[in-house]
Amino acid sequence: MKDKLDKLGARLQTKEIRIPVDLTVGILFFLLGGVVLLIMPQQVAISERDVVNGRAFPRLLMVLMMFCCALLVGKEIYKIAKKQPLEYKTVNLLVEIKALIILAILIISYLLAKWTDLFVVGAVFCALAFLIYFRCKKPSYYVITVGMAVGIWAAFRFLLNVRF
Amino acid sequence: MLQHIIPASGLLFTLQNILWINIGVFIGAVFAAIPGLTVILCVILFLPVTYSMSAIPGMMFLLGIYCAGGYGGSVSAILINTPGTPHAAATMLDGHPLSKQGRTKAALKIALYASTFGGVFSALALLFLGPQVAKFAAQLGTPECFMVCVFGLTIIAGVSGKSMIRGIIAACLGLLISCIGSDPMTSYDRFTFGVGRLYLGLDLAVCLIGLFALVEIVSRAEKKPEELHMDTSKMHDNGLITKAEYKRMARPTLLGSLIGVIVGIIPGTGASEASWFSYSQARNMSKHKEEFGHGSVEGVAAAESANNAVTGATLIPLLTLGIPGDGTVAIMLSALMINGLNPGLSLFTTQGDIMYAIMLGLILVNIFMLLQGKILTPLFAKVVSIPQEILTPIIVIFCFAGAYSVNKNYFDVAVALVFCVLAWLLRKLDMPPVPILLGLVLGKMTETNFRRALLISNGSPKIFVSSVYCWIFIALIAVAVFTILRGKVKEKKPQAEPVTKEE
Repeated sequence: MKDKLDKLGARLQTKEIRIPVDLTVGILFFLLGGVVLLIMPQQVAISERDVVNGRAFPRLLMVLMMFCCALLVGKEIYKIAKKQPLEYKTVNLLVEIKALIILAILIISYLLAKWTDLFVVGAVFCALAFLIYFRCKKPSYYVITVGMAVGIWAAFRFLLNVRF
Repeated sequence: MLQHIIPASGLLFTLQNILWINIGVFIGAVFAAIPGLTVILCVILFLPVTYSMSAIPGMMFLLGIYCAGGYGGSVSAILINTPGTPHAAATMLDGHPLSKQGRTKAALKIALYASTFGGVFSALALLFLGPQVAKFAAQLGTPECFMVCVFGLTIIAGVSGKSMIRGIIAACLGLLISCIGSDPMTSYDRFTFGVGRLYLGLDLAVCLIGLFALVEIVSRAEKKPEELHMDTSKMHDNGLITKAEYKRMARPTLLGSLIGVIVGIIPGTGASEASWFSYSQARNMSKHKEEFGHGSVEGVAAAESANNAVTGATLIPLLTLGIPGDGTVAIMLSALMINGLNPGLSLFTTQGDIMYAIMLGLILVNIFMLLQGKILTPLFAKVVSIPQEILTPIIVIFCFAGAYSVNKNYFDVAVALVFCVLAWLLRKLDMPPVPILLGLVLGKMTETNFRRALLISNGSPKIFVSSVYCWIFIALIAVAVFTILRGKVKEKKPQAEPVTKEE
């Protein structure tokens, strides 16, 4: 199992994706600005009597954001036209998969705590899951970490009076 | 000022405050000594603890973390050549070589003394300059306050990342997120998508837990296993610093403290910039330039005094104008506001005793940092090697417990997770998180002043160029943008390789 994982890891480590940063940011946030402007009438109620209503400030922000995005995209298009190199960010597939695993641990810990309405259940799962993620083989680490997880819950529950 | 000092001393010198200062100093030093754990992360994690406290002990606790964090970062920088916090990077250049020469204790002592001097110097600067800046701030009207917010956001957006435009986009995103919830002027709901819990808006502490703390956990995926295990070198020396060395430390320490205060007052700049600038100035002025990079006591003193001298100075724009000097003090603003303390001149007049108690407390924090540093440094050195396998889940559990305890519901934990995913995605796009934080902190203040000013002028934007102060701030914004852009162009010129690698 360990060897299989190591082989898979070594294979994934070589796989990389290059993202043209400014172009991606420009397009993504331009779209976000457009969507916010589109949904604003449904999401922000206003009174007709207001001189400056609740939509004025978010609208100003989105216009500024879209203007900045247009600048970024324009700059990148100019670079492409002039055959100048773009700024890229390299994303490693192995790193992203590991990040997704960590994120999954966080989400499962949260769901366990919520569904059982016992924070300590989520906390103990979180402690064990991370030790397994780090491939820890020392039993003392398991004892210490689980003990501390229960300790933190107890401190919040009984000292700070947080009921969970 | 004097009429506030005596009652302020009475408020400050209580057993409870002294206890919280010491707890804060201890936690701050321990956190900052562990590579990968930052001061901002520590302040976010422990912010919920202050919710049940009154203003003075709450602020003393957070200031204890903040100041000791400045020193704690140097412990791992000196011991294992890995800065515990980013601003200890300059300390590492000479601190670790000193340690390799068998003078670990001496290097730690130099760092501690310089940090304490810088911290006390900065606290005195706050004590004397703060009220004067507050008097100036009292003359600002609604449009000027809006311009102050724009000024703060522009600088932070400009200096936080590689690209100023990306910084502005991030600031806009933070300001937009701050619009979620009820309209501050009409109480109509905005961007709530029918979720009742969003009506009161998103809690700052919850957003920050996701944005800065949980994302650090996800970023463990970027580290190789061998980077997560570190052994500390042992401290065998007697820690003796000679008279000649003390003499040599004096000038760079004073210079570093001055630089730290000046840099700290400017919003958006922080301890890292101050320590590098101070280090390079000390090297230029030194008679022993050749020692720099090979274990110079002047180098350690200059870097450490500067990064701690930022601590009090960053509070000057925070307490007087409501503009946080850096990300960490932005979080402290929420601790102040929970206790009904709103920045400005009124804070120094109506709440003068509390304000002076906090400012005097900063001096006390530095004194306790010195005492704890002298006694507990061997312990701080040991925590450097706490295994990440144990540390990582503990931080997550603290984050979840902290997020839950803000409003006592799991919805906030989910919000923190959403912000964690957002922060991770933004990291992939090289978007700086600090402008988002500032947008979140300044959002309500910026919008309220913007709309009030327009209401006064019946919708005419000319009000934003109607006074001398407005023009001063417009000029400052223009100068800041020009300086930042010029700096970015200069930075880009020597770069031959256009492709940036993530790892």
